[in-house]
Amino acid sequence: MTYDHAAQQGGPLHTHTCPWCGLVTDGTRLSCPACGATIDVESIVTNSGWTELPGRRDMAKLQFGNSFCQIEGTYVPVADFHLAHGDGVYFAHHVLLWKDPDVAVTAMSLKGAWKRLFAGLPLIMTQAMGPGHVAFSQDAAGEVIALPLQPGQGVDVREHIFMVATLNVTYDWFSTGIWFNTRSGDETETHYPLGQFMDRFYAPQTPGLLLLHAAGNVFVRQIAQGQTILVKPTALLFKDPSVQMQLHFEHPAGSTRSWRSWGERYLWLRLFGPGRVAVQSAYAHLHDNGRNITRHSNATRQQW
Amino acid sequence: MKHCPTCQRTFDDEKVFCGSDGTRLVADAPTAYADEPSAPPSSWPSTPAEPTNAWPASPASPRPAPRDEQPRAAESSRAAAPPAHAGPLERIRCDWCQAMNEGTALSCRACGAPLDIKNLISESGWREAPRIKDMTEIHFGASTCQVEGEIVPVAEINLAPGDSVFFEHHVMLWKDDRTPMGVMPLQGGIKRALAGMPFIISLAYGPGRIAFSRDATGELVVMPLHPGVELDVREHAFLLASHHISYSYVRIKGLRNILFGGQGMFMDRFVTGSEPGLLLLHGYGNVFERFLQPGESIIVEPGAFLYKDATVTMNVETQKLTTGFFGGTGMNLARMTGPGRVGIQSMYVHHHTD
Repeated sequence: MTYDHAAQQGGPLHTHTCPWCGLVTDGTRLSCPACGATIDVESIVTNSGWTELPGRRDMAKLQFGNSFCQIEGTYVPVADFHLAHGDGVYFAHHVLLWKDPDVAVTAMSLKGAWKRLFAGLPLIMTQAMGPGHVAFSQDAAGEVIALPLQPGQGVDVREHIFMVATLNVTYDWFSTGIWFNTRSGDETETHYPLGQFMDRFYAPQTPGLLLLHAAGNVFVRQIAQGQTILVKPTALLFKDPSVQMQLHFEHPAGSTRSWRSWGERYLWLRLFGPGRVAVQSAYAHLHDNGRNITRHSNATRQQW
Repeated sequence: MKHCPTCQRTFDDEKVFCGSDGTRLVADAPTAYADEPSAPPSSWPSTPAEPTNAWPASPASPRPAPRDEQPRAAESSRAAAPPAHAGPLERIRCDWCQAMNEGTALSCRACGAPLDIKNLISESGWREAPRIKDMTEIHFGASTCQVEGEIVPVAEINLAPGDSVFFEHHVMLWKDDRTPMGVMPLQGGIKRALAGMPFIISLAYGPGRIAFSRDATGELVVMPLHPGVELDVREHAFLLASHHISYSYVRIKGLRNILFGGQGMFMDRFVTGSEPGLLLLHGYGNVFERFLQPGESIIVEPGAFLYKDATVTMNVETQKLTTGFFGGTGMNLARMTGPGRVGIQSMYVHHHTD
């Protein structure tokens, strides 16, 4: 929490800079109008440097353009959008909770349909146009993350985390480049611990709003230039595009078995700064078939 | 003589509830507890020294504010403000179930809703189900229910002699060794079995303790049902109901509704006769309620539907989504049309599109 005090004619001017999204407000509000973060509560930072997602009051409102979004509930929060005329949002269709009958829902075409089809990504993105109400929620207990994007700002999001974004945020996707092959006899299998693709959201010219849903609790950390950290691949939520990734294998010393066989190795995702990374506390179990790794993307290896 | 505190009509002494709006009648005699009925129903509520529950209006005169008025209601307390003149007859009306409570009560004795916390109503008109404080006690008949925990709440029932509750057996968490159990006779057993509905509804009789919970993060929705109410509930969503409530099921009409509605073939229907009853549901995630005016519609994800008044109609509509060569998909959504209440849960099973 940051309060800026400046003496001006006749008395001090109190402003508040939201530590989550950087918006400067007059300090009279209880929550940030851009991201909904509670501003009268101190940020919670662990001893290791992870910051908890800022608390958000139930029914907190996020303003964007002429529209607003209200975050309702605490266990499985609902993002309830009140879209003004001309404003719109896009979303994966399975997150739609309810809508006014008059709100038009149409499909938004995406490039690379074949690749998306084979990668298990949604083929179509759905968009809703104002005026009217439309609401979204995901299917796991967790937190809604509001990421206001400033012009020129982008963020990379792991697949299936995205919930909804305003239409002035562009959507693209890219190959993660994180993979390894296992072989059993003549059968070779390719694994993508992070998913084959990641979503990239970018606000080119005007500010936009991106909402994600995380399972469990969310922790964010800023990694300095040259700093590196290891995370469970399925726990990664989002990262700045400047953060680089690669695989990392660890295995104990003194084992008679090869590190390449599962049970004798630990699989991590190594993240390199500079930039911001976020993880969720409830993550999917990383499945490994226990077979020998024959090839893999660029990786580091450590023996204990 | 008695009179209805809601509509002020007068009734004979033998009447207990108002014939027009279902409110419990109060005696005209100005005694310290003059609003206590002279002949309370055998199983609802309470000792004479405890406050009277006044029951909500009938479905024809619903309790939630109209949609346009609800954002303003968010600024008010969950309970109507007590009158300025404090006295022994001071009562607070619970905004969730309309029961009357003592002026000093912190939570409603009929539904457990906090009386000292503001309603949470979204701008779009959805009201959050009241978040029941840990260890809150709810009264029904001569029995009590204590709500324990908040992430996956437990409903612990202390059944008095003569009271009983019914439930699906998989929600039972624990019970006293000597709490008697039984099975509720059901009609259409084969149909129910084929439809995947519980074939057996279990009964627990007082005296004794028994506790219930479901298998995921969510909220306990406490719904005291006043006489003459019919409520439809998503199958397997009900946790327990008191014996004052009759239980049946309704077949969902229309093949499209069955195939794509996400409800299966049946919905549970709970009906109260001349006596009020207590119904407890468990909603996954957070639970929201909205009142639809006659003819007003809302489109919801079928998997999110939790409950509705029997007066609300539900029809599945398919939203076609096309993007040229790849886009032959559709989205099945349920159109709910008023009048009546609709309850939804925010964590739901997504039903695949066609």
